[in-house]
Amino acid sequence: MRTHLILTAMLLGAVAFTASAQSIVNGFFSGKGHGAVALSYSAEHYDNVFLVPNEVKGVPIFREVSVNSVSVFATYGVTDRLEASLTLPYITARGNADPAVLEGLGFENERKGLQDLSLALKYLAYRLNVGAGRLDVAVSAGLRTPVGNYRVDEGLQSILAIGNRATAVTSLALLHWQSAMGLFVTAQGGYSVRSGEVPDAWVGELKAGYAHRAFYVDVWYAGQRSTGGVNILGEGFTGFFPATDVTFTRAGLSAFVPVVGGLGLSGGVSKYLTGRNVGEATGFYGGVVYNF
Amino acid sequence: MLSVKKYLLLSGLIAALWSLPACQKEEAPLPSIAAIAVTNPDFSTLEDAAVLGGVAAVLSNPNPNDPQGAYTVFAPNNAAFARLGLNSGADLRVLQPAFLTSTLLYHVSGGNLRGDRLTNGASSASALGPTRRVVVRGSDRYLNGSKILATDVAASNGTVHVIDKVLLATGADIVQSALALRDAKVFVGPELSFLVEAVLYAELADALTAKPGSPSFTVFAPTDAAFRQLGQDLGVPLKVPADIRKLPKDVVTNVLLNHVVADGGKFNPEMNAGSIMPLGGTPLTIGAFANGVVTVRGKGNDAAANMVIPDVQTTNGVVHVIDRVLLP
Repeated sequence: MRTHLILTAMLLGAVAFTASAQSIVNGFFSGKGHGAVALSYSAEHYDNVFLVPNEVKGVPIFREVSVNSVSVFATYGVTDRLEASLTLPYITARGNADPAVLEGLGFENERKGLQDLSLALKYLAYRLNVGAGRLDVAVSAGLRTPVGNYRVDEGLQSILAIGNRATAVTSLALLHWQSAMGLFVTAQGGYSVRSGEVPDAWVGELKAGYAHRAFYVDVWYAGQRSTGGVNILGEGFTGFFPATDVTFTRAGLSAFVPVVGGLGLSGGVSKYLTGRNVGEATGFYGGVVYNF
Repeated sequence: MLSVKKYLLLSGLIAALWSLPACQKEEAPLPSIAAIAVTNPDFSTLEDAAVLGGVAAVLSNPNPNDPQGAYTVFAPNNAAFARLGLNSGADLRVLQPAFLTSTLLYHVSGGNLRGDRLTNGASSASALGPTRRVVVRGSDRYLNGSKILATDVAASNGTVHVIDKVLLATGADIVQSALALRDAKVFVGPELSFLVEAVLYAELADALTAKPGSPSFTVFAPTDAAFRQLGQDLGVPLKVPADIRKLPKDVVTNVLLNHVVADGGKFNPEMNAGSIMPLGGTPLTIGAFANGVVTVRGKGNDAAANMVIPDVQTTNGVVHVIDRVLLP
């Protein structure tokens, strides 16, 4: 099933980005009984940080930070209109601080572990034929919660924290248009309620691409805007990073090629464009996908 | 079936949701003092010092003890730290953490101290306790021995002035300050050990101890390396501080008194080329004021001593650590 293979691949565009609270939901549906499992690797790096009001060159203490993750991702069509997805990353964050500075502070250059499990359900509310294409309207509810025992309360050491330890409930609305030729545009937006001191956030993503029998490609633009929170080194900052306002926009490109049978390869690049209290990271990912 | 109206409504809703993250928030506020230090590449050593000294979070927030929530910080740039051989956060590890923190506090005061109030003779109490004084020399202004390079950098929680030397204060008198250095309470390794031994041997500790009504001094304090070098030059083995006691006591006393001037305690910008009279009674020659410091030479020296750590404020004077013993 051509569309099945390609559409499943599209689900994977977001796989590598879950480490940064990116949406694991997209505009496509696999169909009842179908789905995919993927294993992916991602690498991000930054040496600049978007502070408020100015950007800082050189990450405080750690100079530069590399974040690598290995993620499992699965999606399954419960019915033709209902899709369930999950992802779980194992993340390693490494800094490049001077060992003497680390010793003085009692810090380390690495933090790693299992991060957060994300689950999402997506429901196709309307399907509308528009000319030669069609328009889908869907809604989604997601839950994300820490499963690893990583820490976020280690003061400035937590610049390397691999997550924020919040449990988040995210509601999304999605509009997805695709032409008979394979062009598509997906817009999604919603609100994420977070536990503890982590501020809630509006989240959104716009994606456009082309899906063909032999390949798939998309470009995307996504963002998050915290509804509160403090600025790093600003009023109210105590060294507890989960309480910070994490706002950003980022863009990227994803691609997928089927290889043999149900197997295919996916890959992509991403970059933060603007932000508050977040690293100006550039990254790439690659993964192996099995469709069924 | 979705009506066109509903379609438009939903499209609009989703477009609005999507565009939210891209919105700019209200106009960006001023950076905090801590953020200024972190984002300005010329303050990278100060940034490391603030982190290691544990004051980064404090200087991110309003001053709880000031009605305006303000601090004033005299911020040494990287060159200021480099003068002390401190070129990076790693180098700061030669300082004891408690001394690093108290040194940082000596650069901080409560409230907004505007640049136009930094006039000759003005003084300002520091968060550490000791006051600092403004010295005007020519067209330049100094705080203690540190030249003020820029004033009135506005921060959300106060004001920053940039200085070219790290301000140093011990919060103790000359004798206790020297003992703290000897006992490795300032640097992680001992310093001024020979000098302290000499002061004890010559029984000058009492004269240099702060007491009600006692005078204040300018003290030139030779490093341990300076004493070892002197031993080599004279052919006398000065390998450990106790070796000082192999020298005649009156000679040691005379040499020591050649390092102490009863002038109330002068910072470098307050000293001029020419002669000054130490307690020993043989004039010292002060060299030209250049790059914020002078040199000092004893009558018996063939070369002038340089300032290794200039302008250390104590409770009964100013100590300048120098690289040569001043011989009468």
